[in-house]
Amino acid sequence: MDSSTKHSGITRRRFLKDGVLLPLALAAAGGGVSTLFLRRADARGFYLRPPGALEEGNFLAACIKCGKCAQACPYNSIRMSGAEAGVAIGTPHIIARETPCYLCPDLPCAKACPSGALDRKLEDVEKVRMGTAVIVDRENCLSLRGLRCEVCYRQCPLIDKAITILPRHNQRTGVHSIMEPVIHHDKCVGCGICENACVRDKPVIVVMKSPPEQKDYYEF
Amino acid sequence: MSFKWWPIRRLVQLGVIALIASPLAGLNIFRGNLAAGDLLGVGLADPLAFMQATLASHIFILSFFGSALAVAAFYFVIGGRTFCGWVCPVYLVTELNDRLSRYLGIAERSYSLSGTRWSLAVTLSVSLLAGIPLFEMLSPIGITSRAIMFKSWTPLLLVLGIMIVEALAARRIWCRSLCPVGGFYALLGRFSPLRVGFSRQRCTGCGECSRVCPVEEVLAPSLVDGAGQVTSGDCTRCGDCIDICPAKALDVNIWYK
Amino acid sequence: MALSRREFLKASAAAVAFAAAGASVLNPKVSEAGDAGIKWGKAPCRFCGTGCGVLVGVKGGKIVATKGDPAAPVNRGLNCIKGYFLSKVLYGKDRLTKPLIRKGDKMVEASWDEAMTLIASKFKESIAKHGPDSVAMYGSGQWTVFEGYAALKLFKGGIGTNNIEPNARLCMASAVTGFMTTFASDEPMGCYDDLDLGDTYFLWGANMAECHPVLFSRMIDNRLKNPDVRIIDFGTRRTRTSQMADQYVRFNPQTDLALLNAIAHVIIKEKLYDEKFIKKHVVFKKGKENIGYGLEDKFKFTDDPKPISFDDYKKFLEKYTPEYASKLSGVPAAKIVELARLYADKKRKVNSLWTMGFNQHVRGTWVNNLVYNVHLLTGKISRPGENPMSLTGQPSACGTAREVGTFTHRLPADMVVTNPEHRAKAAEIWGIDVKRIPDKPTYNATEMFRALDRGDIKVLWSQVTNPFQSLPHLNRYRKGARKGDGRFVIVSDIYPTKSTEVADVILPSASWVEKEGFFGNAERRGQQWFKMVDAPGEAKSDLWQTMELARRLGHGNLFPYKYAEKEIFEEYRKFTVGGKDLAPYEAYVKARGLRWPVVNGKETLWRYAEGHDPYVKAGEGVKFYKNKKDDGRAVIWARPYEPAAESPDKQYPFWLCTGRVLEHWHTGTMTGRVPEIKRAYPAAVCEMHPDDAKRMGIKNLQKVKITSRRGTIILPVDLNGRGKAEKGNIFVAFFDETKLINELCIDAYCPISGEPDYKKCAVKVEKA
Repeated sequence: MDSSTKHSGITRRRFLKDGVLLPLALAAAGGGVSTLFLRRADARGFYLRPPGALEEGNFLAACIKCGKCAQACPYNSIRMSGAEAGVAIGTPHIIARETPCYLCPDLPCAKACPSGALDRKLEDVEKVRMGTAVIVDRENCLSLRGLRCEVCYRQCPLIDKAITILPRHNQRTGVHSIMEPVIHHDKCVGCGICENACVRDKPVIVVMKSPPEQKDYYEF
Repeated sequence: MSFKWWPIRRLVQLGVIALIASPLAGLNIFRGNLAAGDLLGVGLADPLAFMQATLASHIFILSFFGSALAVAAFYFVIGGRTFCGWVCPVYLVTELNDRLSRYLGIAERSYSLSGTRWSLAVTLSVSLLAGIPLFEMLSPIGITSRAIMFKSWTPLLLVLGIMIVEALAARRIWCRSLCPVGGFYALLGRFSPLRVGFSRQRCTGCGECSRVCPVEEVLAPSLVDGAGQVTSGDCTRCGDCIDICPAKALDVNIWYK
Repeated sequence: MALSRREFLKASAAAVAFAAAGASVLNPKVSEAGDAGIKWGKAPCRFCGTGCGVLVGVKGGKIVATKGDPAAPVNRGLNCIKGYFLSKVLYGKDRLTKPLIRKGDKMVEASWDEAMTLIASKFKESIAKHGPDSVAMYGSGQWTVFEGYAALKLFKGGIGTNNIEPNARLCMASAVTGFMTTFASDEPMGCYDDLDLGDTYFLWGANMAECHPVLFSRMIDNRLKNPDVRIIDFGTRRTRTSQMADQYVRFNPQTDLALLNAIAHVIIKEKLYDEKFIKKHVVFKKGKENIGYGLEDKFKFTDDPKPISFDDYKKFLEKYTPEYASKLSGVPAAKIVELARLYADKKRKVNSLWTMGFNQHVRGTWVNNLVYNVHLLTGKISRPGENPMSLTGQPSACGTAREVGTFTHRLPADMVVTNPEHRAKAAEIWGIDVKRIPDKPTYNATEMFRALDRGDIKVLWSQVTNPFQSLPHLNRYRKGARKGDGRFVIVSDIYPTKSTEVADVILPSASWVEKEGFFGNAERRGQQWFKMVDAPGEAKSDLWQTMELARRLGHGNLFPYKYAEKEIFEEYRKFTVGGKDLAPYEAYVKARGLRWPVVNGKETLWRYAEGHDPYVKAGEGVKFYKNKKDDGRAVIWARPYEPAAESPDKQYPFWLCTGRVLEHWHTGTMTGRVPEIKRAYPAAVCEMHPDDAKRMGIKNLQKVKITSRRGTIILPVDLNGRGKAEKGNIFVAFFDETKLINELCIDAYCPISGEPDYKKCAVKVEKA
């Protein structure tokens, strides 16, 4: 039985070295590295989360990356991020330009969330707040150049609420009107259908976390 | 041929992977993964995932708690780290990887089992303090599941890394010393009624059981001191020792002795 | 081995330069000197009847850019999103480049000679065995004037059959018969300038915001400049147009007939009419009633107009009280009175605009007549800024189908085959024996495909259109085409379509600026363009195809041209002299379009109006001189309300209406090839009223099964989209070739115009 003692018995020294210090060191290293990741996710760019998602910090706290929301999405709009997302690895998000959120009236994704990262009590799609659409490139927006595009407006699931059309006189032709799409940030749910539908190579309307701040006053 | 546990266990392991993959085939049996899932409409949740998310987000979801509690109770009844030995896909990977490295005769060194408890403690405290479910972020279990579910392959590099380290430097270090899920189930398994029983009378001392056991330390009290049951929570209830024992000195106990 | 900093910088600079060079090779639009090397030419847009001008940029034999033509008076540099992507419609991956001949279930590539030999032999065989009325040509309002003219000449003057129809029968025919019965001359008196000059716009069954986008922005701009401008949208569906209108007046389908009569009723009862104008310029007539729906094969109808007096007309209108019309239409009686007063307001310049809601109507001719009635009663016609204006959907529905007259009953310039003088004039210009031109019209479009189904027509050639997606009651006609037994279908197109699917021979065509062309838009504006690029592969123009068949059938002498396009135009122009005068070809080469009649180089903005129309003498004011029969007066018609061919009942409780969306054009064969447009609007949906959906437990985006007596289709429901269906109505766009909504449509048509009603049939909706 000597040999077996040697193999399976644990000396105090080995216990200290292998049993406590090493795992502790590894765990501390893991914790340390991950703490480095614990910057706000938007520092790495904005992730469009599924409907009902908590504010990004709370969302990352509550999401256990089970993928049920993505599986519940009938349009495969929800993807699970990979290693590139850093701290947000394995979390669900939507790439609107590829497949936006089509706002299913019963919100199956939010209903599927076990952990509260998505608010499953959400019933009204108009109350969803994933972000807000912003026309980021006014120079390249065809509608703003007087062409009859307005695809973003007509495809908007909250047409006439989140996006409305403001006609303005077109000075260049003198007889036509420019049909300007106006986004109402208080109504926009951030589904990304406009970003998806935009006909320009690089969409001129995109979903952002919040509209760029515009201050009417000078702050000293 | 006498009865063997391993084919059943392998079937269960593969069955779990099949369940995780089943939505891809359009089947409506299982949704989610091992962190949380719906099996035939019944909500299940990894108790550790529940604890991390709840500690991190300060949001308590009753159904989530219920699912986690049910799963914890289930694993308590069937042996705690039974999850590791029978369900966890990473265990399957590292188990097969271990076979390979043994065949090649490279990895020799093992590290202490108690590391999983430390990593459990770190996981829970970081979750609470940093507000991030730490383990869910790094979990090779989650990574493997999502690779199956969503074909998201790159994060599998972590699993590959584990395999290389285990093959070259530290035998089964992930499951033995690092995985906090293992740590959690070890706590449960310590008190579980389902255990490996040991008969000192039949034991010939051949040592085959220790050789196949991924956590051979758990057998020591029996082999050295003749304890009638393997009581350590670290035992994964894989049944390999029972299968290998030429003298039938090991068997399944379903109650404390 | 470490690179020095300098070496590193050099290496990266080289890499950047290499990448840039590679990029410009891959992207033909990136040229070293910007736009240099691009040759620009003018052309009208290939899509709707608005007729926007575009500039086409060509480099290296390929179109590299298109842009709105700033010099074009219609659009002044603007486009809609379809026009913006015009160049892309020619460069879809699956462009047809070789003739294809059916061998069993497969289409096999063939040479032009093989294909044309086969086609000619089928024509000869069929004519020999079954007579000339067993072969047919089905064309389109997208034919250039030359193509339409050549086809007309070959079939009517060569082969000797009136079996030629354009798809315009499905979209403009009721406008044509409306104009013909009221004014004895087709096409509007007004022009787009009325959109700038008027102050009151009544829209009837027209979703201008989406279907005539550039014109709509012009009307809206008028309102921006003048806050008194009122836009009233009469409709059965709340559209983007309704959204921007001052008033949206919802009415029950088909009751526009009653509403317009009620408006006339109020105008007469309140003595708001222009008595002097009526006395001088109007006669009253009454035609047959209960005129049927054209549902049975070989349906025939001839109206029997009887003159009546103004008092008779007043008596006829007695029934159409606002209350009566209100009961039928659902429009409050007070609203009808208010709008009648607005129509008649002497201080207002009133325009009516309409499209398919009026034309695709089993009483399409009548409802066109009725809107003229209101304008004639109030004298608000043929004056700058006040006119009734029929808008068109195809780039040359006016120019080719209507003016060239590629209908079974027509000859060029308002002439008809039933009139011996007209036949004589045509025979003279064509240099043929007048007996060659048959004197009886044969089939309208629907009847033509019924004849193919029955086997009365054996050989049918379809050019520049997609009938096997666009016909109503599609199931019957799609099956009919493949019944065999000597039936032979030829389809000329630029892409595989639902029509090439049923073809025995597919011919690859040149499109738009791959050939020289001439289109006529909705305001009588003719626009010419030159060929700018070669068609891909072996694709050839439809003009060449038609003339090649003529040659092989022994009618080559009808087409003795060297410069076919120009010579055909000059020959065709002879028909137009003295009424619908076109300018010499060279004038169109220079101009950004001219509105006929063009007399002494001067275009006409307002027909029948003194000072504008060269045929109206000084002192006449207004003269409807084309209606010689009635002494140069227009006709007010007593046309009653009659119900639709099929109305909702217990079993099929919903009205189905079909139509277009801004992004896609007609059957989507062109716009569907533009990835950007396809992404913007990928698939058809079923618009439904939220209350109906709620009652049936249907949620937004949920799939529903829509069934009519003729077919079934499954579509996702859209409860909150760009178009909002009224209660008891659903709407589906017809561009989606994977969802053939026309299978559900009824093939009932207006007995006078022969135009089918795509806007009304009964369906049921169930959860799918």
